[in-house]
Parts: sequence; structure tokens; C-alpha cells
Amino acid sequence: MSARQMKLGAFLWATGHHIAAWRHPQAHVTAGVDIDHYVHLARTAEAAKFDMLFCEDAAGVREANANIASQTSRSIGFEPISLLAALAVQTSHIGLVSTASTSYNEPYGLARTFLSLDHLSNGRAGWNLVTSASPIEAANFGSTGLRPHADRYERAREFAAVVTALWHGKLDGASGLGHDGQNFSVRDPLDLPCSPQGAPVMVQAGASDAGRDLAARTADVVFTAAQTLEEAKAFYDDLKGRLAAYGREPDDIKIMPGIAPIVAATEAEARAKHEELQELIPDDVGVALLSSYLSISDLWRYPIDGPLPELPASEGMQSRQALVIEQSRRDNLSIRELARHFAGARGHWRIVGTPAQIADELQARFEGGAADGFNVMPSYFPGELDTFAALVVPDLQRRGLFRTDYQGSTLREHLGLKRPM
Amino acid sequence: MRGSNDRRNGATMCLAVSLFPGEAPFEVPMSARPDFSLLARFVQKAEAAGLDMVLLADSAPGGGASNRQVPFEATTLLAALATVTNKIGLVAAASTVAHQPYNLARRFASLDVISHGRAGWNATMAQDPREAANFSRPEGFSRDDFRRHAEEFIGIVQGLWRGWDPDALLFDQHGGRFFDPEKMHLLDHKGEFFSVRGPLNVARSPQDAPVLVLSGLSEPDMDIGARVADVILLDEPSVAGAKADDVKRRAVAFGRGPGAIKVLMNVAPGADMAARPDVIADRLEESFRSKSCDGFNMLMPPVLSVLDDFVDRVLPELRRRGLVHPDYRNATLRSHLGLAGEERQ
Repeated sequence: MSARQMKLGAFLWATGHHIAAWRHPQAHVTAGVDIDHYVHLARTAEAAKFDMLFCEDAAGVREANANIASQTSRSIGFEPISLLAALAVQTSHIGLVSTASTSYNEPYGLARTFLSLDHLSNGRAGWNLVTSASPIEAANFGSTGLRPHADRYERAREFAAVVTALWHGKLDGASGLGHDGQNFSVRDPLDLPCSPQGAPVMVQAGASDAGRDLAARTADVVFTAAQTLEEAKAFYDDLKGRLAAYGREPDDIKIMPGIAPIVAATEAEARAKHEELQELIPDDVGVALLSSYLSISDLWRYPIDGPLPELPASEGMQSRQALVIEQSRRDNLSIRELARHFAGARGHWRIVGTPAQIADELQARFEGGAADGFNVMPSYFPGELDTFAALVVPDLQRRGLFRTDYQGSTLREHLGLKRPM
Repeated sequence: MRGSNDRRNGATMCLAVSLFPGEAPFEVPMSARPDFSLLARFVQKAEAAGLDMVLLADSAPGGGASNRQVPFEATTLLAALATVTNKIGLVAAASTVAHQPYNLARRFASLDVISHGRAGWNATMAQDPREAANFSRPEGFSRDDFRRHAEEFIGIVQGLWRGWDPDALLFDQHGGRFFDPEKMHLLDHKGEFFSVRGPLNVARSPQDAPVLVLSGLSEPDMDIGARVADVILLDEPSVAGAKADDVKRRAVAFGRGPGAIKVLMNVAPGADMAARPDVIADRLEESFRSKSCDGFNMLMPPVLSVLDDFVDRVLPELRRRGLVHPDYRNATLRSHLGLAGEERQ
């Protein structure tokens, strides 16, 4: 098969990506304390020939308000590097990508830990670089406040350069190749043998200008959130266009937008499934999320079945605020309806439909120059990953758009990435 | 809580195996580097023999590639080993210089959930002089700074491990309450080196908290050990007895029970294990009966034949003498070591 085929990531997140997933009867409610659940998910994704498992991460709880947090499942879960190290020896082919922050780690330790994961998995590890924008995380690391965006990216650039130099065996103080920079100093090479795949795969997700530039310089894979084909294509063209400046070719980066599918045999069943999930969103949680989108704090004062009140203009997130207000007026939605709408999808590309409808949409973006693959975000686990693997993957395979078996053994081979020099 | 035929205050000795410590009595040639499957067989063999725990050393970064005996970092190796074993305790070394306390607490809390309550953290009070240079501290720490830094670090980690009450998670799908917000506690630590708000985003340990194993203690570290350690590893046999008594006395002074700390003596059994198992057993029995320690940490290379010598020759002799418990009683590392909750004050 020489035709270009799409890459697929299985984005694992506790009980599921839908904010109310944990309340669904077919979700595994104890996912965050059950390693066997994750072994099942990993094997399901591997049997379906996914390129990789992907774990999000934050070094802190997600929601500061304990009352709101206690109505979601996201305050506890496995730390992803230990989780993926456990899964590494329970799987044989699938890639293992974990997020880790450049703001709250040191490059020597991070490079060493991911290289160890790479050895445990025989060349299947990847690192998703994030700079961490949450003040909840910052408070766990002695900061008096979050670092400004520009500083975070400056640190991330230096961090990524040191990690890459360590992985490529190009850092050694004894030969005058130590690192003594603005944020970090490192003297010795890593004390582990070099990677079975040349170097672990570098993944990134930042969509800002600084984020795109850093990705163009260092990333092998980029995850994005894009609602429409036009939006996805604009991002795709922009990022691929930045590569030449760093001496790289367009195919050196794989761009994989996130997709939050809800799949069922018929469209009516898929819609019912979606509705069932939306009904499970606790009002407090929905209103809290909607409030954060609108950058206001007192939305709970208004009747939940009434319309959105007139809102003063605010500084933060103006485009998203306008989008919410416009939708509430256009569709005549109550606060509750609006909250459910936004809390459920969280700004990701939601497709509700049959396997063929989902495959059509993926094909259109893949062939339309808007994606090299997709990071699949099942609404609840294990049910919706099982469904995607059983119904959508075979459809994509029949169309010749996705592999029917692994051709290589490392993550770099799955993704069609060059081995670093 | 050990077997009825015990001859020393109802206790049998704790037995640990320490893999690839820096001062290992054996050299493993580079060409014979063990892969994961060999390490898995090694730990499975230790588990089949009923040993309490395996300690995974972590080479000091900066030691240079030639010093490494395995291609793995200890906490990731522990996670992998947890999935191929069921009973044996798994303890990984991790440095207080190389990590942030929140990240380290989280990693080990997660390892403890992955292993169903069999994880431990080995922290050392002995600073590796080369390490700081790779972690953006080229000036290093003074001896005193290192001690205060480590003590504060350990306190934060242990505090974060207990931030969620054991019954905090409700999983109430119908009522819409995942956890009881009253049972989640912020740490709000503000100290000399760190400030950490918490809480940890990992559930409470199945064994209350991961086991803290302290090593590399010098005299000024003894109070720290007595206050926070679950297990202390001691090196010099000549003074170990006095040190063990001392640290237990101090623990009682800090309001802990006399059984709250287990003192293990590091032993490099050497090549005479196979030839003279009775001599090794005599030596261990003497140390144990003179109450200079609660058990032993056998320093070994990850070579199956060396473990075989201990497990097949020395261990049966110790067992025959009633010095070793016959099997695991419970599931967690804390219970293996006799450190389960009821023995704590």
C-alpha cells in the first residue's frame, strides 16, 4: 500500500472526554484507580492498529472550586508517565505519548525518563511538550503567579533544545558541549543507551504564534483543535509553511486535529446517545464552564431556564464570548441549554453520526489538505473507544485510508517519520 | 504479626534485594546488559521466594554511560515490573535534587495505585556531588542546605500522599458526586525551598501511603530518619546495632511506635553464598538476634544465578531456622514489612 494513509491517536482521559462521561452507565467509573481498565483500552487501540495512545497531563487538579470539581471525575487519575511505562510492557506495537510540562520539569530528568520509556517499549515513546497555562499548577511549584506567555515559550525553546541534544548524544561537558543557558545548565550526557528509534517522538499542541514556531522548529507531530475544515486547513497550511525556515520538509510534521465522535449504527441512535450524555451534565458544572467561557463570575445568579443576561464587554477571550452570545440569541437557548452545549464538546470538533458519516468527514479533511491524521477523543471509556474501533476503523480500512496491520515496530515507523541523524 | 514459631519477639526478618547499586560486588559487562524480560524474571523469582521487596537503584545522572547496568530509569522500570508481579514490594530510588516534590509525590502515588499498594520511594540523604550540575544548579548544595532541602521535600511528599481521605471517592453516578469535597485537603505548604498548595491529583494509596525508605544517613540525619522514615537502610555493620537502637529511641521520642521503623542492614553476600550458605545464614542470624536490625537488604547485580544462590541455598537455611516468614500474609508492601496502620501511633 503506497497511498498516503491517515494516522490515528487514541486520546485516553480517565472516564472519557465528555465532561459527564463518568456518570454514563457504560463508562468505567473507577477508571482513575484501575490499571486493568487502561490495559484493556491499550489493547483495544492496538488491535485496531492505532498509531499511538496519547495522555493529556496537568500537574494539579483541573478545577479549583472543590464543589464543582467533586461533580466531575477529573481531580484524580494516574500520572501518565508511570501509566504508559506500565502499558509499555503490556503492549507490543502501539506508540505511547505522554504530555509533560517544560515549566515544572528539568530537561535532564525529562529526557532521561522518556528515554527509559522508549527502552521499555522498544522505541514507541513520545513526549507532548506543553508550557502549562494553569494557575492551579503554578501554585504547586512555588510560583507566586503564572509566568507570562513569552517567558514560558522562551523557556520551552531552551528546554526542547537541551532534550533534543541529550537524545541525539550531542551534549557532553567533557568535550566542551555542555549546556549553560538562560534557564538551564546541564553538564553530562545521559547515562542510558541511545533510543531504539533514534529519539523519542516530539509532539506539540500550542496554537499561538510562538507555539507554532516552536512546533515548526522541533515537533514531529502537532495536535490541534479545529471546528471547521477551513479553520483546520488554514492551520495546516500555516504550520507546514513555517517548516522551510528551519530546513525541514512539509512531511516532517504530522498534523493531527482532535475529533470527538459520537458513533452509532444509525444517526438517530447517535443523536440519542449524545442527548443522553448532555442530560448528565450537572447544572453547576455546566454553568461554571459557561461562566469561564464568558469571563464572568455570577452567571449562577440568573434563572437557569431563562435567557443569557446582557453582558458587559470583557478583556479575556473576546472571540469565544461573542460566539457563545451569538449562538444563544440565534437558537434562543436558555442558560442550561447553552451550558450543556459548550460543556459537552469543550470546543472540540464533535461529529455525531453513523460510522460512514464519521469516515466521510475524516476523509474530507484528510484528502482536503487539512490533516495527516486525527487524535480520537472518545466520549466515554471503554464503550466509545470500543465502538470507534469496531465500526469506524474498519470503514476507514475498506476505503484504503488506514492500515490493516502495523508495517514497522517503532512509533517513528508508524508515523512515517525520518530517523533523526 | 509474623509466624508463631518466631524466636525473636514474634518477628521474622525483613528481606529485600537491591538491584544494581553503585557499590555492587559484581560487575556486569556491557554486553550482558539485562533487558526488561530478564529483570522481570529476576523479580518474579524474588517474589516466588517470598522476599518482601526489591529496591531499584537509580544511577546518579553524571555517572557516565559506562556505569549503567540497565537502560531504564527506576520509576518507569517500577511501573513496568508492577504489571508482571502480584505480591512483592517494589521500591525505586529517586533524587530530591532531580525532581520537584509535587511531581515526585504524584509519580509514586500513581505507582502505588498501579501496583495495588506495593510501591515505595527510596530517598537518600547522601548528596551525589555530580548530580546538581545536570539540574541547573552548577553551584550544588552545601551539606546543610542539602539536608534541609531534602527534609522539606520529604515532608511535602508525605503530606501530599495524605491529601485525600481514604474514603474520599464516592463514585456516585446517580447522585452526581464523584468525591466528597470535605475529604480533599489542600497542603498549603510554604517553606524555605518550596511552596506547594496541593492537593495531589492521584487517589489515596491502597496502603495508606507509599513506603518511605531512607538511606545514606549520617549522624545529623538521624532525627529526620526517626521522624519520617518507614524503613532505614544502614551500611556499616560494626555500628549498625547502635544506630538502629538510637533511631528507634528517637522515633519513640517523636511519638511513633517502636515498630514504626524497620532498620535493614545492607549486605553484599558475595560469591560464598553457594559454597557456604550456612556461614551466611549464621552471620545474618547473629545480627538479627542481637537486635541490631530488623532484616537485610541484599546488594545484588541483576543476574539470575546470583539470586538463585541466595534463594535456593541461603533462604531455605534461614527458613529452616524459623527466621523468615513462610509466605506473604497480605497484599501490600506495608503489610509485608509489618508497617500496616495498626502498628503506627
